[in-house]
Order: sequence, then C-alpha cells, then structure tokens
Amino acid sequence: ATNNHSKMLKYRCSGCIAVGKSLNSRNFSKLLHSCPYQCDRHKVIVEAEDRYKSELRKSLICNKKILLTPRRRRQLSSES
Amino acid sequence: MFQGQRGWFCGSVGRELRQFWVAEGGSISDPRAADFLFSCDASHPDTLRIHQSLDYIEDNATVFHAYYLSAVANTEIKNSVALGHFILPPACLQKEIRRKLGSFIWEQDQHILIEKHDEI
Ligand SMILES: [Zn+2]
Repeated sequence: ATNNHSKMLKYRCSGCIAVGKSLNSRNFSKLLHSCPYQCDRHKVIVEAEDRYKSELRKSLICNKKILLTPRRRRQLSSES
Repeated sequence: MFQGQRGWFCGSVGRELRQFWVAEGGSISDPRAADFLFSCDASHPDTLRIHQSLDYIEDNATVFHAYYLSAVANTEIKNSVALGHFILPPACLQKEIRRKLGSFIWEQDQHILIEKHDEI
C-alpha cells in the first residue's frame, strides 16, 4: 500500500490533472482507462461503471438473441 | 471557453447553466453529435437513455454534472477546473460509490450555485 501511495504522488491520476479544451464526453472514459495511476476516487467510479457496462452489454446481447430467434418471435406474436 | 464545442443538456439542467454554456461560445446539440453531455440528475429519463446507450457501453459517452459549468463560471482561471471531477455515474451506481467515497465532488460544489443565486 505504501508503494502504491508513493507511486500515486509521483504519477498523478490523469482524470484529476487533465484540464482544458481537449477533454470531453467522447474521450474522457478512454483517457481514464489508459491511466495506470488512477486515484482512489476515479478507480472506484471506473470499476463501478465498467461492471455496469458489462452487465448492460450482456443484457443487450441477450435481448437481441431473443428477438432474432424465429421460434421465440413466433411465441411472442402468438402471445400478443 | 467553449467556442466550437457542442453540448447536450438533460432536461434536469437549469436554464442558467445552459445560458452560460452558450454565452461562452458553446452550441446546443442532440446527444449523438454532442462533444459534452451535461446532466444534473442521473435518474432523469434523458440521462437514463444515455447511460443505456451503445455509446456509453463502448466508453464513448461520459456524462458530466452540469455543475462543472458553474465551477468554471466561478473561477478566475476558467481552464483550471478539472472536468474529471464532475463525472455523473448512472443513478443505480451512485449509492454504492457514495458508500465507498463519501459525497461526490459535485455534491460538495452545490454551495457555489447557491451563492450565485443570492447575487441575482
Ligand atoms: Zn483521479
């Protein structure tokens, strides 16, 4: 933990120090992901968001499969 | 400060902050074309839609709390505000994040807005 701490002091989190025009909603997440020394704050947020994104991705793929399976589609139309 | 930048605003963002964006040279656009996505409430349907979009899943759509704009409005050196402190995560994650980190930076910044209201 001490080692991590000294690293953090030397290499500050890019999510925290990056300011100015070049950053926006389109590139911020990638910048944060590519930063090897995320601060605790950004690390927690990124981890939570990544987990949420992968769950969402899974459910999207699931939904698509259900819609694309002909048998399932017939089922759906006969139900309605 | 925001010359040439396109911003999308969730219905939860107040008029004042939108006006500041435009006054600083920003334009208003739809969410797909926007460079910046601003919201004041992650549980608002507009923002929910962003957080469920493919853009978001693919790390191409970070929503920022619109208090970033009031922080910019209230500092001498406009470029010195770290955008990264104003990430607005999906509503369903906020409780968990708050439990680990305490309040969000944009929650601590609320006093800035209140001060501004007092002046007007
Ligand atoms: Zn950070």
